[in-house]
Amino acid sequence: MRAIEPWVERPLTEFLGESAARVTLLMTASGQVVAQHGFTRSLDVMSAAALGAGIMAATAELARVMGSRPLDAVVHQGTGLGLYLAAFSTPRGRWIGLVVFGAETSLGLVQLFFARLTQDLERAAPAAEPARQVLAENFEDELNSSLRALFGR
Amino acid sequence: MPLVNFTSREITCKLVFYGPGRCGKTTNLLYIHGRVPEDRRGNMVSLATQSDRTLFFDFLPLELGIISGYTTRFQLYTVPGQVYYNATRRLVLQGADGVVFVADSQARRFDDNLESFRDLQENLLEQGVDIRQLPLVLQYNKQDLPTDLILAPSELDDAFNFRGVPSFPSDALHGSGVFETLKALSSLVLQRLAARPPAP
Amino acid sequence: MSLTDTLDTLTRIAGVRGALLVSREDGLVVAEALMDSLDGAAVAALAASLTQRIGGMTAALGHPEGVLVQLTGSEGALLVAPAPGGLLVVAIAAADVNAGELRLGLLAAAEQSA
Repeated sequence: MRAIEPWVERPLTEFLGESAARVTLLMTASGQVVAQHGFTRSLDVMSAAALGAGIMAATAELARVMGSRPLDAVVHQGTGLGLYLAAFSTPRGRWIGLVVFGAETSLGLVQLFFARLTQDLERAAPAAEPARQVLAENFEDELNSSLRALFGR
Repeated sequence: MPLVNFTSREITCKLVFYGPGRCGKTTNLLYIHGRVPEDRRGNMVSLATQSDRTLFFDFLPLELGIISGYTTRFQLYTVPGQVYYNATRRLVLQGADGVVFVADSQARRFDDNLESFRDLQENLLEQGVDIRQLPLVLQYNKQDLPTDLILAPSELDDAFNFRGVPSFPSDALHGSGVFETLKALSSLVLQRLAARPPAP
Repeated sequence: MSLTDTLDTLTRIAGVRGALLVSREDGLVVAEALMDSLDGAAVAALAASLTQRIGGMTAALGHPEGVLVQLTGSEGALLVAPAPGGLLVVAIAAADVNAGELRLGLLAAAEQSA
């Protein structure tokens, strides 16, 4: 499991243990990965997050067109594999959870423990930290050489 | 602001390619996808119609490397250009750390560029973002076409570049200008995380 | 008999605090008749999980599937009976319930829900 902020780890670990989900991804509403369990390649995580956020955004827009309040969750049920996608509020803004689960658990259990996860995250969130300096002043030299290497120049 | 993981020392930036239909946004991503080694990029996700027009978005994750000790990743998105997909454009634009506005240099597409540029400003404003505060780069694409069909970069600058942001002539199909555009935007976006104040 | 009627036959038994029909595979509520303080979604998910685990255990032992699962605690009891059509009938009862009557009622409800 990997998490952007350490306070997310404990609630997520508990959720994974109780729900028996195979893959779980927490992301911001704009598709930035916050935490994940079950992916092996970071680039695949980003694609999944982009698609998950896209589905939730499209669903919210669909609800708006229908004159309804935004829908909280989307479920895709496949053969032997289900996907649960739900938006929720945190002190850090609107987040989305994407859970992939198999026959070893059920949608009911995933929903039940996901609701608990959102409550735990709400309780665990510390106050937002002020922005701090991350990159050195001369970061542009490194950026340029990284980009050149990436493009084979 | 880009997402920063202080524990694992990672930075993730969302960069959006915006512009009118058929201006070359997806072509930019396809070129980057083809140029970058496989282990430094994810699969390109394209939600397109049967006629290959972008329906929802294209998405390409890139792993740039380590900058100031931080593993830096870019998430490149394109928006669908056609006018009637405005709701989708708004959604993709959400949380963007930087925008490339890709203009079609053909003189006959001038009004489409203008409409799309206005649409970008409106959609940003709707999300409470002032375009003047957002890292922005302009790319004048299809500069390889015969000169009597296109506007020169200086003419396009006069029309669109009132802020004096970096602008680049390009031929995205063959890659000219694509690297420079990405380089300029990444620099602007990452400047926000650097010690010195961002450029005015 | 409607699903609600089936549940009503159970909730009429003295000491029963609620009854549910639950989708066995998903653990989701199909129909419920509960006292206000009970969380139907949670009961449904956990009862389905419990039945699945016990089913796995009996299968591993080579026994046929049971017709009733009963969990008894100091404050009350939870009873689950598999029903045709991939459903479970679930009842939640106080400690002083007439257990025999409830078991018979639950088995009858499982048959009726087919």
